[in-house]
Amino acid sequence: MHARTIRAWSWTHKWSSLVSTLFLLMLCVTGLPLVFSHEIEDVLLEQAWTPADPDGPGLNLDQVLAAALARHPGEVPAFMSFDEDRPVVNVTSVDPNGPAGRYSFEPIDRTSGQVAPPVAGHPVLEFLLQLHTDMFLGLPGMLFLGAMGLMLVTAVVSGVVLYAPFMRRLPFGTVRARQSARTRWLDYHNLLGIVTAAWVLVVGLTGVVNTLATPILAYWKSTALKELTAAYEAPVPMGQRASLDAAVARARQALPGMKLQFVAFPGTDYSTDHHYAVFFHGDTPLTTHLTTPALIDARTGELAAVAPTPWYVKALSLSQPLHFGDYGGLGLKILWALLDLATIVILGSGLYLWLGKGRRKVG
Amino acid sequence: MNRKRLSLWAVFRVPILLFVLSLTGLIGALLQDGAWDGAYSALLASTVVVTVWALIRRRR
Repeated sequence: MHARTIRAWSWTHKWSSLVSTLFLLMLCVTGLPLVFSHEIEDVLLEQAWTPADPDGPGLNLDQVLAAALARHPGEVPAFMSFDEDRPVVNVTSVDPNGPAGRYSFEPIDRTSGQVAPPVAGHPVLEFLLQLHTDMFLGLPGMLFLGAMGLMLVTAVVSGVVLYAPFMRRLPFGTVRARQSARTRWLDYHNLLGIVTAAWVLVVGLTGVVNTLATPILAYWKSTALKELTAAYEAPVPMGQRASLDAAVARARQALPGMKLQFVAFPGTDYSTDHHYAVFFHGDTPLTTHLTTPALIDARTGELAAVAPTPWYVKALSLSQPLHFGDYGGLGLKILWALLDLATIVILGSGLYLWLGKGRRKVG
Repeated sequence: MNRKRLSLWAVFRVPILLFVLSLTGLIGALLQDGAWDGAYSALLASTVVVTVWALIRRRR
């Protein structure tokens, strides 16, 4: 490689890293406990609980919804999801006149309409998740972190290119431990950087895709779902909505054999202003991450469409497990944690090498 | 430095192998469940194993 080419790659590596290092360190530090959020919440939130009336007929979804909303007067429903191992329905609601993004979350015992203890959403983990997702800045924060993710990808690619001139005279994995601290840390930086490249690229790129969730869903709604909303002008008000329970039953008929995952209410990111979007997922390892919604007209309760998601929504769905590392058991999560720690060392050593270089020049 | 210059292939053969093993593990674990998760995780674990090996055997 020509000296000038190396300098250009070097400049790219330096600036893409410098711009993003502090944010990437924050992402690595907050991401580490988030890898284990399921396990941590199991411990922190564990409470012995049995449904009030396990053998009873159970409430229908309209009754469950009413029970949840009665605890949050003035709020409108946003999402409804279903626990897998207990008869609990989780209702997320939002104050339409309140600040955007502030949701209430109410787990309801489906056998009684009483509140069930939460198994997710511990305040500390919620705080870390919010910091990790958008730094409490909403969409601009998310997109900013997405840009930092692109800087990370640039730094990895330029780092791999620069690996060649640095390693031309050293066998793979050499750590010159007896030489100066700077040389030693350069070797650690190069070794960890090159072995983690694939994982960092996958987690970085899927993280970038996740930061685009809002625009991706908005585009989906404004194109694929647009015809469905053409018939109506104003959003469907609360008082004019058809039965939710009947809507979900109708959706089940439309997608037999698939598993109910969640309902998005009219006006949320995952639905139009006029439909209940009832999301189902498949039951193979891959299709369990891919959802298909049946859209039910919220005024009439009729099936409006089964809307298989386009490729870019599928890409968003698959980016979530590949970013979180929650799809291959505890072993995979431990690897996620180890590689996250390695990334912290790479970022720290990179910063150290840059700082040392500046000081040496001054001296 | 009086070592001889290594070829690009010599510099990148282990990194390329680890890259392929990692990607196979990352994607394979998404496509399969159960015992396969462990097998594919092991492919990704090659990165950790090689790092530990280098830190022990390639220190000088």
